Amino acid sequence: MEDYKFLFKVVLVGNAGVGKTCLVRRFTQGLFPPGQGATIGVDFMIKTVEVDGEKVKLQIWDTAGQERFRSITQSYYRSAHALILVYDISCQPTFDCLPDWLREIEEYANNKVLRILVGNKTDREDREIPRHIGEDFAQRHGMYFLETSAKEAENVERLFMEIAVELMEQAKCKELPKYDGSLGPINGKTSSVGDGSCCLR
Amino acid sequence: MSLTLLLEKYDVSTEDGLQKALSEIEKEECEVNESLSNALSRACTLEGRLRTASQAYCKLGEVRNDAQVAADMVEKTALLARDVSAKVRQLDLARSRVAECQRRVHDLIDLRVCSAGVDAAIRAHDYETAAGHVARFLSMEPGSVAAARARGAPDPRRDMDAAANTLRDHLVRKFEEASKKEDEAAIERLFKLFPQIGRAEEGVDLLSKYLASQLEVSIRRAATVSELRGDAAVFADSLTRVLECGAAAVERARRLLASAAAPPAQSAHVLLPRAVAVIQPTICAGVRRVCQEMMAARKLVLTDKADPLSVEHALGELALAHSRLQLYFGFLRRRAEVESNMDEAAKSACSEAIENLILGCDATRTAQDVLSHYLTLERYYLEESVNKALKLSAAAGSCSLVDDVFFIARKVIRRSISTGSVDGACAVLNEAGAALERCGAALRRRLAAPPPEPLPFPPPGARPPAAREPGAAPYLQLVGEAAAGAEWAERLAGEACRDAEALCRSERARAKLRSCAAGLGAAAAAFRAAHELALGALRAALAPSAHQWADALVDPDPDSEELDEEANALPAALEALAEEARAAVPHSADALLGGVLAELLARAERTMLRSAYSRAGGLALERRARRLAAWAGGGAPAARERAGALCAAAALLAVERLAHAPDALPPRAPLSPAAARDVLARRTDFKLEDIKRLKL
Repeated sequence: MEDYKFLFKVVLVGNAGVGKTCLVRRFTQGLFPPGQGATIGVDFMIKTVEVDGEKVKLQIWDTAGQERFRSITQSYYRSAHALILVYDISCQPTFDCLPDWLREIEEYANNKVLRILVGNKTDREDREIPRHIGEDFAQRHGMYFLETSAKEAENVERLFMEIAVELMEQAKCKELPKYDGSLGPINGKTSSVGDGSCCLR
Repeated sequence: MSLTLLLEKYDVSTEDGLQKALSEIEKEECEVNESLSNALSRACTLEGRLRTASQAYCKLGEVRNDAQVAADMVEKTALLARDVSAKVRQLDLARSRVAECQRRVHDLIDLRVCSAGVDAAIRAHDYETAAGHVARFLSMEPGSVAAARARGAPDPRRDMDAAANTLRDHLVRKFEEASKKEDEAAIERLFKLFPQIGRAEEGVDLLSKYLASQLEVSIRRAATVSELRGDAAVFADSLTRVLECGAAAVERARRLLASAAAPPAQSAHVLLPRAVAVIQPTICAGVRRVCQEMMAARKLVLTDKADPLSVEHALGELALAHSRLQLYFGFLRRRAEVESNMDEAAKSACSEAIENLILGCDATRTAQDVLSHYLTLERYYLEESVNKALKLSAAAGSCSLVDDVFFIARKVIRRSISTGSVDGACAVLNEAGAALERCGAALRRRLAAPPPEPLPFPPPGARPPAAREPGAAPYLQLVGEAAAGAEWAERLAGEACRDAEALCRSERARAKLRSCAAGLGAAAAAFRAAHELALGALRAALAPSAHQWADALVDPDPDSEELDEEANALPAALEALAEEARAAVPHSADALLGGVLAELLARAERTMLRSAYSRAGGLALERRARRLAAWAGGGAPAARERAGALCAAAALLAVERLAHAPDALPPRAPLSPAAARDVLARRTDFKLEDIKRLKL
């Protein structure tokens, strides 16, 4: 038995080149590898974090953004506990594609899945999508929202930690879909955990 | 002894004293005489020794002189040796200079021969000799050439460079001519000359270009699909032919590269990737052409939704095509490894270059497209097949749902592994997990409502029903299927991991695969939940009858005359139930029986503690409980202990006198003294005070 109490699957989706792999690398390895090649199929990383003194294992699935890998990546939506939808704040088309991504999520993912909208690359000077536009979009579609920079390591740790906190809270309320056989014993009581909703501001 | 001492010792005044002193003196004199003669006798030997010693001394002096002479000689020799070795060193230096001079002289002679010979050889179309000259020139020390120039000779380098260029032009022209004529022998001969004139890269380019043009023709022939037959894997076969042609060309380039005169070691690892880079686009074009045709021909016809089996053939072909492409990439990767004349660093550089080539080439993208197409079709096939199985099973009440679904799941998982792609296998494992979970949930819905009498367990006194409940058999079969489903899901996951192990080229890929296979565990949980639910429902259905039996078991009125038959009734009914259950749900019969019996015994105990017994009633109860415990010992081991406790309680109720109670309890009886007192209190003829006083 490995030393963790909760295991959550987090899946990153979004157009090619918005920085999904960089977010994952930054979080799991503390690196920002420039000149990263396009992800092929699906890559996967694991990081164990601690929330309220309890070990939480995050299994992070980094999907390829390119269209021809769609049939591979779609198969991972269903078992995801959290879906991170990423766009590039300096690239309007990546934002315009969000409704398509949402449709895909509706079709394949569990309807109780935690959804987070992330605007990446805040280090860029040539911002095209103002923060409030992203925020509005997230609010309209019932998603959490956060702007990050994998390059400057801004908000990356926070993004994943808040996902871990939120998912743990859900697990403790037994709100998680029951298919998760890998969860550890769940004690029924709800503990108030941090500021789980601060993603919205 | 001195005289004074003597005089002191003896009284010389008397004769007697004088006499004594005299005798003393005489004795002493004798002793002295003796020692004197001893000393005299030794003087001779001493003299002899002295003589020998003096002789030896003389000899030692001679030896010393000789040694001195020898030492002088050694010193002189050493001096001489030093001189000699210095001279030898000088000689050595001189010799090496001579050797260098000779080489230079040779070089100079060769240089003259080369510059003269190369033109002559070119004119005579003897390119081997010309290339030999150029190779000789290139291998010369620059110092020789410089020396030649310094001595006023015309600069040979310009001539040689010019000659080398001319030779190169000739070779290129000849190569192109040979290419046009497809003169293989000439091509191989000419190709081998390029490394000699220091233009290995150019040679590789020319050769690769030639091979690529040759390949184009053969690929065009291979890529043509003559007749579109639905039942044969025509496209996969065609793709196989295209890839075989490509692989043959690459292998030919590699062999020629290896057989050509060894190029400078530092560039060996560059040449093979360079050749592949030139040849690969032609192969990619052929691959794309065939694959596009295949995907167009094997696409999903949405109007044809009736039968998922219709896409099965296409799926097989797509998987085969993808695995062929993977096989080809594996072949390319191995080319770097079979190269024997490279060191480790060069090999890994070569491997990396080949890997980058594979990553960047169009065939990789085509393979990804094929895989995507395959996965889309496979998802359709899986979903429709599972839907069909669910529909069939629900409509006909037929009971091979789990069989069918696992057959489908195993088939698609195996097919996905046969594509040779870990990502493909992972995606299909995910989809299969979802489909199985759906099946488990459907099973759960159907198991939630059992028929009123799923198993024959008539209450006491009732006759067993003549005809079985019509819904019972299918329901029980579904229960068995749910149990099997959980087991199969886990077995399928293990099987998939084992089968796909060979595809994993890295630890990360292996972890990914394992994680996806573990997703089948969720399906197993769904089946297990359905099974638990069904067992609960079955227990609930049997409960009313079990309650009546429990009441009959502890019935305090011994009204029946046929005590024996009455006591056997419950074990007989249970045995009948057990037989039915084992036949219908072999995996879960024990759990079910254990549950039913536990519930029955618990109720019997509760009822017993609320009833009042005469001795006769106690005896009847004891007989019934004993029979039941005996049956539980063999029929339902899980409830044996519980039955033993009831049996012990019944034994207490059957004692003739209260005083016999301690003996009635069997050793290690599962009854505490307090519980035993509670039981004894149920006897109408025992007094409470007596029971309290009783030692247990």
